[in-house]
Amino acid sequence: MARHAAQRLLLAVPVLFGVLLLGFLLMQVVPTDPATVRAGPTATPEVIAAIRTDLGLDRPLWEQFGRYLWRLAQGDLGVSIINNVAVTQELGATAGPTLELMLASLFWSIPLGILLGTLAAYWRGSVFDRAVMAFAVACATVPVFFLALLLIWFVGFKWQLLPFTGRGGPLWTLDGLKAVALPALALGGTLIGPVARMTRTAVLDVLGADHVRTARAKGLGERAVVLHHALRNALIPVVTLIGLQIGFLLGGAVVTETVFSWPGVGRLAVGAILSSDFPMAQGTILVLSLGFILVNLSVDMIYVALDPRVRAA
Amino acid sequence: MSATVPDSAAAPVIETAAPTPAPARPGLWRRLLREPGTALAALAVLLLVGAALLAPLLAPTDPYDNDLARALQPPGSPGLPLGADSQGRNLITRLLYGLRTSLSMGLAAVLLGGGTGAAIGFAAAYWPRLDGLLMRLMDVMLSFPAILFGLALAAVFGPGVPAVVLALSVATVPLMARIVRGSALVVMRQDYIEAARAMGMSDARLILRHLAPNCLSSIFVFATLRFGQVILLGSALSFLGLGAQPPEAELGAMASEGRNFLFFAPHIAIIPSVLIFAVVLAFNILGDGLRDALDPRLRI
Repeated sequence: MARHAAQRLLLAVPVLFGVLLLGFLLMQVVPTDPATVRAGPTATPEVIAAIRTDLGLDRPLWEQFGRYLWRLAQGDLGVSIINNVAVTQELGATAGPTLELMLASLFWSIPLGILLGTLAAYWRGSVFDRAVMAFAVACATVPVFFLALLLIWFVGFKWQLLPFTGRGGPLWTLDGLKAVALPALALGGTLIGPVARMTRTAVLDVLGADHVRTARAKGLGERAVVLHHALRNALIPVVTLIGLQIGFLLGGAVVTETVFSWPGVGRLAVGAILSSDFPMAQGTILVLSLGFILVNLSVDMIYVALDPRVRAA
Repeated sequence: MSATVPDSAAAPVIETAAPTPAPARPGLWRRLLREPGTALAALAVLLLVGAALLAPLLAPTDPYDNDLARALQPPGSPGLPLGADSQGRNLITRLLYGLRTSLSMGLAAVLLGGGTGAAIGFAAAYWPRLDGLLMRLMDVMLSFPAILFGLALAAVFGPGVPAVVLALSVATVPLMARIVRGSALVVMRQDYIEAARAMGMSDARLILRHLAPNCLSSIFVFATLRFGQVILLGSALSFLGLGAQPPEAELGAMASEGRNFLFFAPHIAIIPSVLIFAVVLAFNILGDGLRDALDPRLRI
């Protein structure tokens, strides 16, 4: 177990380095010169040269990369070109809401997806099964912004049931819960389909296994057979899928945040890119990438903890 | 017992991958179209692709022909069966051209990313020494979603269709590489590969003449399934403003523009979104049908 964890951690190091190097190199390709931007439109060439020296832009590329890493290690991601606020400060303010949105989406969509998938497998071939599978296909196909627009139009605007712009406060307050409801419904809606589909396949596999037949033969009730013997074993591939999907949920969060004006990292990233705020764009993309690496690493660990076969291997 | 399980499990896999060039098998179309869902999806794909190709002929007006007097007209207005957008442009025309842009973006991404991925997959399967390195690289690429590639590339090259196509291609590479490597490894175990090698056939010729044709069905099935996903992702990136820029018509960008008028002219956002949904659904169902008919091994 410890060895597997260590291996995974070691593998994450070159990935992290690669992401940092790529992030750094990509910004070298950007047509805008940071020294000119910082100096302003009326600056003389001497001032621009001085800023260039000051920022270390006249140094060789490898040295600049070294400085970049050193600044990163100190938590310095630069300053926004647009509003002069430190990138880390903006990221600090937006990371929480993004996590909130993702947690709220997972909170309702995963249990519902697992429930639908299990029932569909149990009643295989029934109308319910077909309906769940059709629903799953629709969920995997619908653009998240379409779902979001429909929710805004009907639930938010026509029926005036829930607010649809911005964050209402922390999740433990009623206003906070109300504000997160629609974005979480839209984002989670795209997750139910894959989870239900995977659970159905996995439960069907396990329901045909010998140990389930044994459990039935010894007279266990259907509920115990499905819950304790089938679902528990079926959850291993489902957890892997959920882990993979969480990473992609972060991608969906970018769209959801933009539609619902949710003050998260994704919306910050899109805004920064559209306004050519390079330090902010670089910082947000870096943080999102780190988020993916962390999520994948955690999923690996959970997977090992759940499946003794991986641990032994 | 445990020793016999893998053998018996592996045997049918090798058998099903027998080197028959699958697309040429008789009755493929009949098998494919026997499922009513697949047949319907195939028809929908045909109509959608036809509409996109013939957009200049089918469109009643020019896509940039605006008339502010007709702005936000609802569907069913005189001369505007699907209404007009915020600039008073005929929505039917915009949809046809938008479909054209969206499908072209998807096709470019699948060709570019799929081609690169397939080359990597073949290389990994053919040269075992490269396998570990290439596949770890693919794993790393796979752990980042397309939206993130889209953000990064739009940050560097500026928002636009090229950035989105590149992002979608990059996101397609590792998926195609894995599929192709899997298929190619099965083909590599066949006797005729050994025979061709023994006859002194060059690597390039062996890959092009024997390996690639026998992996074509997997590539084709995956490309169809991926096409739907790529359209979905591309429309999301365009919706964010990172893809096609106004006044160019693109379905995601049209939905994004319509968002500003959602409360008094919902058709501007809803109709392009429904069309994206329909395109993705049609390609997904067709891809599923193709997979069942051509390459059931890909089924999860």
